[in-house]
Formats: sequence, structure tokens, C-alpha cells
Amino acid sequence: MSLQSALERLATYRANNTRASQDIFRNGLLVLQKSSFKKLGDDGWTSLEQLALASIDVGRLDIADQCLQLIADKFPNSPRVDCLIGIRMEATEPPETALKYYADILEADSANVAIWKRRISVLRRTGKVEKAVNELVQFLDTFYTDVEGWLELADIYASCNQYDHSFQALSHVLLLTPQNPFYVLQAAETAYTSDDFSLAIKMFLTVVDMTDADDSEQLLQESTPLGITVRAWFGVKLCTRRIAQNANLKSLSNTSAPKNLELLDELATERLRVAYSSSGQKGEIAKGRQEVFTWVATPLA
Amino acid sequence: MDRLSLYLDPQIRDWVLFPITLVMILVGILRHYVVILLQSQPKKLSRAATREQRALTRSQVLQATSSNSPIPPSFYKAISQNLSEAYKAGTYLKDGPPNADTQSSAPNPLSDPAAMDGMMAGMKTQMVMMVPQMVIMGWINFFFQGFVLIKLPFPLTLGFKSMLQRGIDTPDMDVRWVSSLSWYFLNFFGLNGLYRLILGGDNAADSSRDMTTSPFAAMGNAQPGQPQDFNKLFKAERDNLEFAEGLHNWVGENMDTKILRKYGKLAAL
Repeated sequence: MSLQSALERLATYRANNTRASQDIFRNGLLVLQKSSFKKLGDDGWTSLEQLALASIDVGRLDIADQCLQLIADKFPNSPRVDCLIGIRMEATEPPETALKYYADILEADSANVAIWKRRISVLRRTGKVEKAVNELVQFLDTFYTDVEGWLELADIYASCNQYDHSFQALSHVLLLTPQNPFYVLQAAETAYTSDDFSLAIKMFLTVVDMTDADDSEQLLQESTPLGITVRAWFGVKLCTRRIAQNANLKSLSNTSAPKNLELLDELATERLRVAYSSSGQKGEIAKGRQEVFTWVATPLA
Repeated sequence: MDRLSLYLDPQIRDWVLFPITLVMILVGILRHYVVILLQSQPKKLSRAATREQRALTRSQVLQATSSNSPIPPSFYKAISQNLSEAYKAGTYLKDGPPNADTQSSAPNPLSDPAAMDGMMAGMKTQMVMMVPQMVIMGWINFFFQGFVLIKLPFPLTLGFKSMLQRGIDTPDMDVRWVSSLSWYFLNFFGLNGLYRLILGGDNAADSSRDMTTSPFAAMGNAQPGQPQDFNKLFKAERDNLEFAEGLHNWVGENMDTKILRKYGKLAAL
């Protein structure tokens, strides 16, 4: 493998924010051994940081220390390096030491985003969920636009079975990134779990609307649902059943129940059948097709 | 023109024209580095100050999607009204909610140390610009006053006389001759392109640009660390919030019928 291709791979991983630590480590090590990071200018230092993180991830702390030394020599007093050192500390030291380290930095610079987030993650990891939530809420109160933070909060709430709170956190995520169907799907599933089926079905349908292939009617009926659209159709199907089973379900968010429930159910059934009927790349039948067919065939109520 | 009206000593070219140009270029480059040296680190904002500064983005984010909102009405209302209450109560203000009896007045920029810092930085750059230019101009005026330095290779109309022959009061000398003081001004305004070539686009060497800005001009536009009356801004933002709330429309509201129509299960409208 040449140096050039290794660097290119690193750059791609960096651009896509992929956590392919093993591969990054292999490629990065190659570059490090030829000691050419320094000659690369700004790009080289970012790659070196990437390698440091990857080697902590795969447990090669010796390489990580080597990288950190190089970076710290070049950029003394950089907050970004402080964060890296903290991550390295988390890898081996007890969490209290890392927390102490982060607390010290935050005392000097109370609005240091990276360090604050690390601190919250350590708190959560060590089981101090309540404290982590408090800190995270405070963090989001200051940095409202941090989507990652809101997602983390939603995840923490969901892990504590507080799905209403989780949905509230997700609603902020939706406000911040209204174009991302994956978050809508997550919100829909959260609503479903918290028994708010009318809300859930509308959000599932929103996902369908956002992700289905084309807007022209003719093509739509022939097209096969793919990816998260299939998952959304499953959600729709689940919701129609739940709503049909107990007619007077209350929706916490006061969402009106969907009209034409039978039609929706029919459509979802049809779509799911289409999704599982199409032959795959090699012409084989989709996995679990029979199970899906029997499941969708069971009548509404 | 066959009769040569003036003959310039080549020594003038070597010992006056080139040195003036060279000195001005070098001073510009030096100035660039001095300004970099003088630049103070941007002050780190405290947590409360950051929160105050960013509080307005919340309402902006909320309003941006309100007519096509991704979240259902009850959640939207809750967020919007909470925000409105917080703005009213001054929860986001750096120094906590204001007292009822103290009149809110625009803060005096001269009493706020953060604003003073910004002004001092402006003054410092200004000084770095002014002092060397004054010295150079004095130097030229003292040693080379009345020198004719160069002859432009193209003819010009009489209108350029005052521009090119500053410091020489001869009514009938050809406009193509350039005096020392005028050469200084030509360099002063014309070297920017050269600096950009040497130092890159974002340089601080060009002094003619600073002529137009005064250290006090920075006070007008909103700079970070600039005193703003956030309380007033928040109060004003409440109206916008209320307005956006009226416009709120959830994307998913009629999604069921929309999808059914889209897939041909219901007749299109």
C-alpha cells in the first residue's frame, strides 16, 4: 500500500466521520512509520489526531502516546489537544481522574464545548445518569444547536424508560434538522413505544413521505420500498393494528386519530408485500418473506 | 517629443526612487507582522455570556420551520411558550433577571472593560499604521522635497498635475514627471496588490484601508464582546415568537390522507 493511497483513505474516513478504527490505525501507522505527518502541513496534523483516536480505540496506547507527544509538542496549550489528552486519560486512568481533569479545565474555561461533552459522557458511562442528565440539560441550555447532545439526551431518557421526555428531546432534534428522515423515524418509534399511536402513525407516514422514491404517482406504485421506508411501513402497520384494537386510545399529544384506517392498513400491507416480493440482486427470495406475509395477512382486529 | 526638456540623473533613480519604494514595501511587511504580534487572543466567553448570546438562536430555529413544522402542535406550543416566558423573565440574561426598579439603559461602552479592550485593539493597529507612515512622509519631505523622480511612459492630461506633481509648483512642466511626494502617495495607495502577492489575501500591511476606519467605528457594528441590550432584544423576540406560533402547521397533520392520495388509494383532490 502506498503512502498516497493510505493518506487518501484517511481523508475519506475523516470526511465521512467513519469510525473504522482498525483500518485507520493500519493506514495511519504506515504514514507514521515513514514519519511524514509533519511534512504534510495542516492536513497531516488532523490525520495524526485521527490516528491517535483510532489507536486508543483499538487499544494500541503506545502508538496513541507517540501521536499525542507529537501533537502536544506542536500545539502547546491547544484546547483540542487538552481534549485528546483527556480521552487518552479515560482509556487507562480511573474515571475519577478524568473527571477531575475535565473539571479543572472547565473551571478555567467554562464554555469549552468538547471538554464539557466528554465530561458528560464519562458521567453517563460511570452510571451517574442523573448527574449526566443534569449536566447535559445545562449544556443544551447553553448550546442549543448541538444536535448530538439532544440525541444523547433522548437516548438517556429512552434507556430509563422515559419515552415522553425522550420524545421531547427528539422534537428539538427535529427542529434543528428537519430534513433528516432518520430522526423522524426515531421520534416515531419513540412515540409508538410511549403508546401514542396516532402521533406515531403520522410520523411514520412523514418518514414515508420523505423517503419514498419519487413524487410522480405512476412510479410510486411500481417502486419497491427500500431502506428505512420499509421500516416506516412496518411502523404504520403496527400502529393501524394498535389503533384498531382499542378504539378509544388517548393520545398524550392530543393528536387526532388518522382517518381511513382500513385504507392505511391496506396500503401498508401492500407496500410490505411489494418490499418482500422483489427478488434481490441474485434473484433470491427475500429473507423471512413467508413470516412477513403471514404477519401482514392477519386481519386488523 | 524631440526636445528633451529634462534630464534625470540616474543617481536619483538609484538613491531616491528605489529606496522610497523599497522602504514602503518593507514597512508594510513589517507592519503586517507587528499587527499579528499585537493581536490579543479573543477573550473567552464565560458560560453565562455564551448562553445569553446564543439564546436568540433558539427562537430563530423554532421560527425557521414553523409554517412547515416537523413537530406536532402541542410540543411546538410548549417550547414556544416556555421560550417566550423565559425571554420575558430574563432567564437567559448573563447577570440573571433584572430588578424591577432599576431602569434599563443602554450600557455605556466606556465603562465596560470588554468594550474597552476592543477599542484598544483598534487603536493599537491604528498607531502601527499611522506612526511609520508619518515618519516616511517626514523623511521624504525633509530630504527629497521638490525632487522629480520618474517620467511616466505615457502622456496624461493636465488634470493629473496636482496628483503627480505635488510639492513642485511649476505651471508648465510636463504632467508625465512625477514628484517625490506624489510617488509616495502612489505607493501608499497602490502597493496593496503587491502585499497580497507577498503576504496572502488576508494581510494587515495595507495602510490605505485603515485610513477610512477609525477605532471608534468598530463600536457601531455589533462585535462579539460588544455591549448589547439583550433584555430589549429578548422582549422584541417575543412578538416574533407569537407570530410564528400563529403560523404553526405540523407537516404530519394530514399526512394520512396525503399518503393515501399519493399512492392512489384516495381520489386526488
